[in-house]
Amino acid sequence: MAETEKGFEPKIIAFCCNWCSYAGADLAGSMRLKYPANVLPIRVMCSGRISPHFILKAFQRGADGVLVTGCHYGDCHYIKGNYITKRRVTIMKDLLKFVGIDPRRLRADWIAASEGDKFAKVATEFTEEIRALGPSPLRG
Amino acid sequence: MENLKKNIKDMLESGEIAGFLGLIEEEGHPIPFLFTKDSLDKLDALTVPDIRYPMTDILLKIVRKYPEDTIGVMVRGCDDRALIELAKNQKILSDLIRPIGVACTKEMAEYCRCSQPYPREIHYGEKVEGVKDRSDLEKVESMDLSDRLDYWMGQFSKCIKCYGCRNICSMCFCDQCTLEDDTLILTGQAPPEIPIFHLIRAFHMAGRCIDCGLCEEACPAHIPLRSLYRKVREDMADYLGYVTGMDETERDPLEFLGSDGYEVPTKIDET
Repeated sequence: MAETEKGFEPKIIAFCCNWCSYAGADLAGSMRLKYPANVLPIRVMCSGRISPHFILKAFQRGADGVLVTGCHYGDCHYIKGNYITKRRVTIMKDLLKFVGIDPRRLRADWIAASEGDKFAKVATEFTEEIRALGPSPLRG
Repeated sequence: MENLKKNIKDMLESGEIAGFLGLIEEEGHPIPFLFTKDSLDKLDALTVPDIRYPMTDILLKIVRKYPEDTIGVMVRGCDDRALIELAKNQKILSDLIRPIGVACTKEMAEYCRCSQPYPREIHYGEKVEGVKDRSDLEKVESMDLSDRLDYWMGQFSKCIKCYGCRNICSMCFCDQCTLEDDTLILTGQAPPEIPIFHLIRAFHMAGRCIDCGLCEEACPAHIPLRSLYRKVREDMADYLGYVTGMDETERDPLEFLGSDGYEVPTKIDET
């Protein structure tokens, strides 16, 4: 997804948990819903597995946005992984802001296995938001 | 001072402690020294200088070698906060540590911009009030996003990857370090990848950093690392009400959710 002549195409890494969000992404496909191909899903077992280092590495390697998705509160397969994720992401956003990376480039959202439409909606919204923000300043 | 020496001597002679980690003056330089029953004569050289050593770092090495002995250690406010965190993380057993507290002078507190320049128990020195100074954070916060990034990338690009910040840190006690993990970061090359190298450490310091400032003192490139760690420390207090080095029974909210439900604090939910 290199920059085309038409303009800037954002690269977005979406971390999806195995039990809810990835199934939600799958459902979006089964339902034949369209969402931008800029979003590259990476399946992890739980959103709690998403080490803050993964997020940093995605940015370091030129991602324009990072989407962290997990189960809704109370639905986590491992009971509380997503609560920890939310805390981490909050601190991480503030740290990114402090060093001059727009915190809107990182987003956490909760998508259930039955919410294929929500996955498509979040992916589309986020892609448009990142498109408006422009390329990541770390891209190079 | 004489009292302090006598105290330590008594503790060593009675066998209450097997060793005491303090500083001695040798050829004009303060260096760390482990006093034992056999080296009581060295106590004459015991000193409490106006410089700091990462005492808990050295203590950890001793504790790992002699896990069953009771060790005394000279602690300042920052070392004491480190002791609390080390106990929380099960690196030391508080029962086997006898901290001998030293309060810092006003000059030292101001030099370190220390918010709590005194340990829980003071055996030497006069307690002075801490310094509340967040001018380093305000300096960064007054810039807009792109200026901040330029500022930090400029700072980070000075890094020579000496690992000084990690090696001197009382809270860097992991057996395996992310900064040397080649699946997360390019290893074996200098200068390091920026900003990830510094941000990994910065995030890791959330819920860990005791704000001693030794990292910044050790940094040969004068990177204002402490501001980064102070920022995450402040965030932890703001969002999660957690301040490191205060209470041994409190757990890091990034690792533990606590027993009273898993509610997400409202302040976080709004972000």
